[in-house]
Amino acid sequence: MSNHDPTALERLINGILPENPVYRQLLGMCPTLAVTGAVKPAMTMALATAFVLISANCMVSLIRGLLRPHLRILVFTLTIATFVTIADRVLAAYLYEMSKQLGPYVPLIIVNCLIISRCEICASKQSLPVALADAVGVSLGFALALGSIATVREVLGSGTWFGLAVLPSNWPNWGIMVLPPGAFLTLGILLGLVEWLADRRRKHVT
Amino acid sequence: METKAPGGGYLRQAWLVIFLGLLYGGALAGVQTSLGPRIEQNRRAETYRVIPQIVPGADAAQTTELTITGRDGKPSRVYRVHTAGGQLAGWVLPAGGLGFADRIDLLVGLDPELHAITGIYVLDQKETPGLGNFISSESFRERFAGMSAGEPLMVVKENPTAGRNEILALSGATISSESVANIVNTAIDNLREPLRGL
Amino acid sequence: MDTLISLLQIGIGAAIINNFVLHYFVGICPFLGVSRKVETAFGMGCAVTFVISIAALLSWTFTYFILRPGAPLPGWVWRVAGGDPATSVDLSVLSYIMYIFVIAASVQFVEMYVRKFFPPLYKSFGVYLPLITTNCAILFACLEIMKNLQDPTRLWGLHEALTLALGGGVGFTLAITLMAGIREELDMCDVPKPLRGPGISLLTAGILAMAFMGFAGVDKSVADALKRLTENGTPRVEHRTLNTEY
Repeated sequence: MSNHDPTALERLINGILPENPVYRQLLGMCPTLAVTGAVKPAMTMALATAFVLISANCMVSLIRGLLRPHLRILVFTLTIATFVTIADRVLAAYLYEMSKQLGPYVPLIIVNCLIISRCEICASKQSLPVALADAVGVSLGFALALGSIATVREVLGSGTWFGLAVLPSNWPNWGIMVLPPGAFLTLGILLGLVEWLADRRRKHVT
Repeated sequence: METKAPGGGYLRQAWLVIFLGLLYGGALAGVQTSLGPRIEQNRRAETYRVIPQIVPGADAAQTTELTITGRDGKPSRVYRVHTAGGQLAGWVLPAGGLGFADRIDLLVGLDPELHAITGIYVLDQKETPGLGNFISSESFRERFAGMSAGEPLMVVKENPTAGRNEILALSGATISSESVANIVNTAIDNLREPLRGL
Repeated sequence: MDTLISLLQIGIGAAIINNFVLHYFVGICPFLGVSRKVETAFGMGCAVTFVISIAALLSWTFTYFILRPGAPLPGWVWRVAGGDPATSVDLSVLSYIMYIFVIAASVQFVEMYVRKFFPPLYKSFGVYLPLITTNCAILFACLEIMKNLQDPTRLWGLHEALTLALGGGVGFTLAITLMAGIREELDMCDVPKPLRGPGISLLTAGILAMAFMGFAGVDKSVADALKRLTENGTPRVEHRTLNTEY
């Protein structure tokens, strides 16, 4: 146990880089690999996940006094599934094309280990402002991770960023980047890069 | 470790889950009632929006949806398309089947007498990016316009002979091109006779 | 014969061509977490296949009879309660909640079964067995089944749903076992420090995914070959030249 629980602000900043959900904690891999072929679907997915995470954290934090130990996972799951359904319907109503492109990966947010782990570790024990800050920080971190991978894959694979051409038209599109192997390779290399940077930081500090 | 509560205790402990269940159920019902029609409209619009591209002169607003039984005995949805003036402009048949990579869904347009194909539109495909992907492109789709609906389409790799229902395949994507032709052939073969009867 | 061909397409498609892990990216967490030894990986794969099949059975039944647009059971209740028989009842907004409960129930059931009949296996699984509930692969299979029960002109039967589930489970087992074998070898290699652990596993998975891309089109060729054998005729389309370009 540390000598003080992280404050709300600390939790917010923690979630972005030091405890980044994808690069440091290795949670939420499925959507990270699946929707990062281009930046637009990646950001939509990050937005949907942020909505679910923040809503679920707030809800769980509000009812944290009423949770029974052996029913709490059930309550978390029920809450998350409801918010995911709402997010999915809203996407289908207002961003239909994007909803079709994201396909089954929006409902898969339900089993995104990230959200359940935040509910369990933070929201069920902390007050509302702290839980909210934690959720926002982790959402920003997730968006950062998705955005970085999607940028690499889209620029190298289609020569565009967010649909706008950024490379000259004689760039031979590295098709592999948009296909499944490209997702694995990009994430692997970026993970190695972040690990290397964190290692250097550790050596500098000590 | 906690001690097990006596029999009735489970219901008392589960009151939160039951209450939340009802609360969330209500919320979802509300979401469904308010957003459901809009989602349905989006789904319809997806097909109706492209009908003018498949059947020239068609007015998307003047389309009726019918369900008929094809030659294979299964129900199929077809769209009867009219011009703005109310005349029959043609028919649109949804069709689908296995492509090279995954399922291909497309729409086939036929003229009012069911003699010729007026065009196709690929709704959904997951073919190889850069190769089979181009079955959605304008240049591939227009190869189907004007072909006869009375005999099956054939796919050739070069120099299609005029008047013989031949489609030029995409270079480097023969199987994707053939899949599209097969899907179109099967759909027309399945539904042409039942449509004649309407 | 047609059903058999389509079942073969669905099964081979789910297991090899559109492999759940290497193509659809579901089930990555256990894929990276549990694949250190071949025996554990294979055991996990079998457990997941078992859970997926039960979950698919239950979710198909619930979706077909209760949750899809125009389902018989809610329609009957609606009519008995005096509602207008022309409106079709659509309870699909409750799908996701229903599926997650079905999956949790399936995992409970499998856990009880394994604990009773294979105690040493149960001990070696430890905490990973309940974690199968959060395995994306199972929910993904349920979602695929739901997708194919939406269009009333093209409904999947129970046999197609089970084939998808079994194919997906077999594919997952294949991928995770392959990965475990490779990682056992990698443990003895000199991997650069930043890439040790998840980094090198992901790069290996990328190369595996590239290899599996070579299977594309196999299900279609098998289906065409079988059709040719049974219908004793050529398909509708002719080749001018004999060599294909893929």
